[in-house]
Amino acid sequence: MTSILNLQNIITIIVAIVAAPIIGGFLSGVDRIISARMQNRYGPPILQPFYDFFKLLGKERITVNQTQMVYVLGHLFFSIVCIVMLVLKQDLLMIIFVLAFSSVSLIMGAMSVRSPYSKIGAQRELIQMMAYEPVLLLMVVGIYMTNKSFMISSIFENDRPLLFTLPLVFLTFIYVLTIKLRKSPFDFSTSHHGHQELIKGLTTEFSGPQLAIIELTHWYDLVLLLSLISLFFAKPIWVGIIIALVCYFLEMLIDNISARITWKLMLKLTWVIGIGAAMTNIIWLYLK
Amino acid sequence: MELKLLAVAILLPAVSAILCYIFRKAPVRNIIVVVTALIMFAVAGEFVKLLFDNGGKITIELRDFAAMSTELVIKILDFLLFIYFIFIGVRLKKPLIVGLTFLQLIPLLIFEILIRPKEVEQAFIIDYLSLIMILLVSIIGPIITIFAIGYMKEHEHHLHLKKSKQPRFFVILFVFLGSMNALVMTNNLMWLYFFWEVTTLCSFLLISHDGNKESVKNATRALLLNMLGGVGFILGIIIIYKVKETLALDQIARVESLADFGTIFPIGIGLLCFAGFTKSAQFPFQSWLLGAMVAPTPVSALLHSSTMVKAGVYLIVRLAPAYYGTTLGKVIAIVGGFTFLAGSAIAISQSNGKRVLAYSTIANLGLIVCCAGLGNPVALGAAILLIIFHAVSKGLLFLCVGTIEQGIGSRDIEDMQGLMKRMPFTAVITVIGMISMLLPPFGVLISKWLAIEASVERSPVVLILTILGSAFTVVFWAKWIGIILTMSYKTKIQGEKLSLSIRTALSILFIAVLACSVSVAPIFNKLILPHIINLQIVGDQYIEGINGGLWINGGVVGGFGIVYLFAVVFIVMLLVPIFMNKAKPETMKTPYLCGENTSDTRGIEFISPGDKIDHVIVRNYYLSGVFGESNLTLWTNLIAGAIILIMFGVVI
Amino acid sequence: MGIIEKSRKKSPWIIHYDCTSCNGCDIETLACLTPMYDVERFGIVNVGNPKHADVLVVTGSVNKKNVRVLKNIYDQMPDPKAVVAVGACACTGGVFKECYNIIGGVENVLPVDVYVPGCCPRPEAIMDGIVMALEKMNEKAKVKKK
Ligand code: SF4
Repeated sequence: MTSILNLQNIITIIVAIVAAPIIGGFLSGVDRIISARMQNRYGPPILQPFYDFFKLLGKERITVNQTQMVYVLGHLFFSIVCIVMLVLKQDLLMIIFVLAFSSVSLIMGAMSVRSPYSKIGAQRELIQMMAYEPVLLLMVVGIYMTNKSFMISSIFENDRPLLFTLPLVFLTFIYVLTIKLRKSPFDFSTSHHGHQELIKGLTTEFSGPQLAIIELTHWYDLVLLLSLISLFFAKPIWVGIIIALVCYFLEMLIDNISARITWKLMLKLTWVIGIGAAMTNIIWLYLK
Repeated sequence: MELKLLAVAILLPAVSAILCYIFRKAPVRNIIVVVTALIMFAVAGEFVKLLFDNGGKITIELRDFAAMSTELVIKILDFLLFIYFIFIGVRLKKPLIVGLTFLQLIPLLIFEILIRPKEVEQAFIIDYLSLIMILLVSIIGPIITIFAIGYMKEHEHHLHLKKSKQPRFFVILFVFLGSMNALVMTNNLMWLYFFWEVTTLCSFLLISHDGNKESVKNATRALLLNMLGGVGFILGIIIIYKVKETLALDQIARVESLADFGTIFPIGIGLLCFAGFTKSAQFPFQSWLLGAMVAPTPVSALLHSSTMVKAGVYLIVRLAPAYYGTTLGKVIAIVGGFTFLAGSAIAISQSNGKRVLAYSTIANLGLIVCCAGLGNPVALGAAILLIIFHAVSKGLLFLCVGTIEQGIGSRDIEDMQGLMKRMPFTAVITVIGMISMLLPPFGVLISKWLAIEASVERSPVVLILTILGSAFTVVFWAKWIGIILTMSYKTKIQGEKLSLSIRTALSILFIAVLACSVSVAPIFNKLILPHIINLQIVGDQYIEGINGGLWINGGVVGGFGIVYLFAVVFIVMLLVPIFMNKAKPETMKTPYLCGENTSDTRGIEFISPGDKIDHVIVRNYYLSGVFGESNLTLWTNLIAGAIILIMFGVVI
Repeated sequence: MGIIEKSRKKSPWIIHYDCTSCNGCDIETLACLTPMYDVERFGIVNVGNPKHADVLVVTGSVNKKNVRVLKNIYDQMPDPKAVVAVGACACTGGVFKECYNIIGGVENVLPVDVYVPGCCPRPEAIMDGIVMALEKMNEKAKVKKK
């Protein structure tokens, strides 16, 4: 642990910081095409997310108060910190906490303006956090139970894929992924293209470059969450990546076939089913 | 040398108290307060130096005359204290108080007269845990008293008192600090019990300070609950003495005591922990701490951060080695974990700022108790870290809310919108104080993280309690921060008028919060790690501070080392927008109100149907249907009560 | 052409505001989003929020009551932005022109970039209009820079 910053690590960090948004952007491009096809449409070009991003960068910088940019940057930076911690194979529990920081930063930004839409969006996002946070933490705990370590590096040392010991945790993780990615039926704090909820909920008052940064962060988060999925099958890693992509496809499918539910129902479902299933899994690991 | 220092630490506040009582003029009192504060800082510093020179343990033996006389004085004072309690009970016409006093007095008399306990030779032992507590008491305590100078002036101004009650107030504050200092240093359980009761009395007097109906009622509740704990305490002492034949805390609270678990010894420990629960307001005893909110802010700050409630957890943490790994320990962990969960959940539904803080205190104390109950080196480390960080942050937050309350005349969270404009200095400090309670890299989160990492191995029940609780904490803090940060574009920031004492107190504590978080690794290595090593608890995991972060088993199991990275990110996050705005300012737009904006640029007004101009009002979600105090309190109290019964069932 | 100019042409987000339309034009506008016409092929997305939008699509003539809202929405859009008037009413006031409450076409209130005539215009024409507005948007951005 003493020499985290050697040359090799620095190169990995740089590669990760550059590559993650590119991958994330492509994935959301694919998402939009596949969603379009599911709706019997042709869909945008695969580079569409990048077009959107650069267009937003080129727009006028407008703002409601002068502090918004700070929160947006916090949102971005802490997601990047997560990615960095991931490629350095650091403590998984801390990654989840830092990820929460990144979300809280955006929520602060949305709450800092006097706009009813973004404020309510922020409140709903908080409720979403309250729902998925315990499940994410339980996932980490499950991983600890298997490997006796919180470090991601330990996952790579273990030959047996986590999926075999943590099937239920894996399923709940996919479940909260829908919340975390704000996909339907859980897209009530803000919604993706073609949908509207509370105008644009959380992101109503962010525009131009700010929105571009939020989009960028979304790509980072996407990559981070998908790599967490692939950790369940870390050896060989390509199987994990395929599983992650399949899960992502599943997310799109769910997004397109379900209608938005209320936050109360979500809270109940997540706590009863999500925490229940994850806890079941963890308790049987205890007893083993 | 040691003895002198000890005497100063305990008696100086008492002397200052007397001085405050004699010299009733405000300027003189202010000087006394400041000078006492400075001396207390110095004494704390001396203790640090002394402890490190002596290799981590200072033992002070009182011999012959000194021992005899101290013992006698404490005994006499003890009885006087009980007589005063009876007096209070009679005056308030509360037979329960009198009854509880007799319940303590009779066992005490039986114990002193019939059993005649052996004296403890090493009357005072100061180790790292005591040192940490001394530092908290003698640094945060005086800062709060300094704050009180400015605050009480305003406070009495609001109340339109004819005769100032300030002398009395400061007298009690100082007695409180002195007895806290003594409480954490003494090695004699009987003496600990005495100081314990003194803090109970002080808290009663302070809570009822304003003298109106509500404050007297709440103070009585505090007194009753704490005396209930006192009854547990004295019974616990007797039982423990029966088994151990000693009253020396260092003999009782150590790993070897585990051998006595076949006897009635665990009941004694359980009773002491029960006393600790009442003192640190664990569910179902939380109501007194919530009621304590009626007192002037310095009192609540003091009760919540470094004194009173910390005495309870101090005792529980101190005893931790004696029940480590037993079922008793596990149940204690569940009591704490449950309090953490319930406190955080109810806090979500509160819109009164002080109550949110109170529930958060209860929750954090729960987490400390929970960690102590788990008792392995990692968990104990987390518990002690949390004692430190919580004391500093919570002390700061209470002072902030008090200042805000005086500034805007309300403690309702919803009224704090636009605080950035009205009280920028306080608002910034408050927000950072709150962030230090919930986000990395600040200490409270680090201890929460350690708590989860520690409970994984040991108990799935505790695990789920801490995880859910930790998710709830984020919600109520984030809501509050969001309200405070709400602002319009380039509003005219008005300077706020704060008295020098308030400003100093806030700044010092603010710096302390930042300093503690940045230097979490050295603090851990220098103060907490040696304590845990001295306890000789066996555990296969240990924490160590390396490179400014904390690592479990040197990074094999887990760790966190990017404290500095966070600092850099924070600075970049603030500087980039500032420079971007310097280069080319952003264009201001009003918030989106469906196009019905008026000419008002703040975005508060909109045109409603019928061309009326209305105000936009957005309130936070309080989810009171789910987390409402009235829904939850009864059930949580029942469950918590059941858990405590289970605790005693287990040991019997 | 820089990457931003290119992206601008590839990703117009529209906000659709219905002034005093008879709803005929609205239905045609929304028809563009359906699988039949699928404007997302061109990256066109209907966002409900002026702060995210590039193109303001107005249907119907402006009346005295909603002119305030129309102006507010236009003001809240970040530059560069364009206005497309869809339908005869939006272009000139159309059949409602002589009504007591009508101000007239959108041009009386906002600088309109593209007029899409018709009562109601076909979805193809609307799409064509939006794409034409993009060219103008880039020009406007260039002028503003100078
Ligand atoms: S142009 Fe024709 S279809 Fe369109 S709003 Fe006017 S009347 Fe209706």
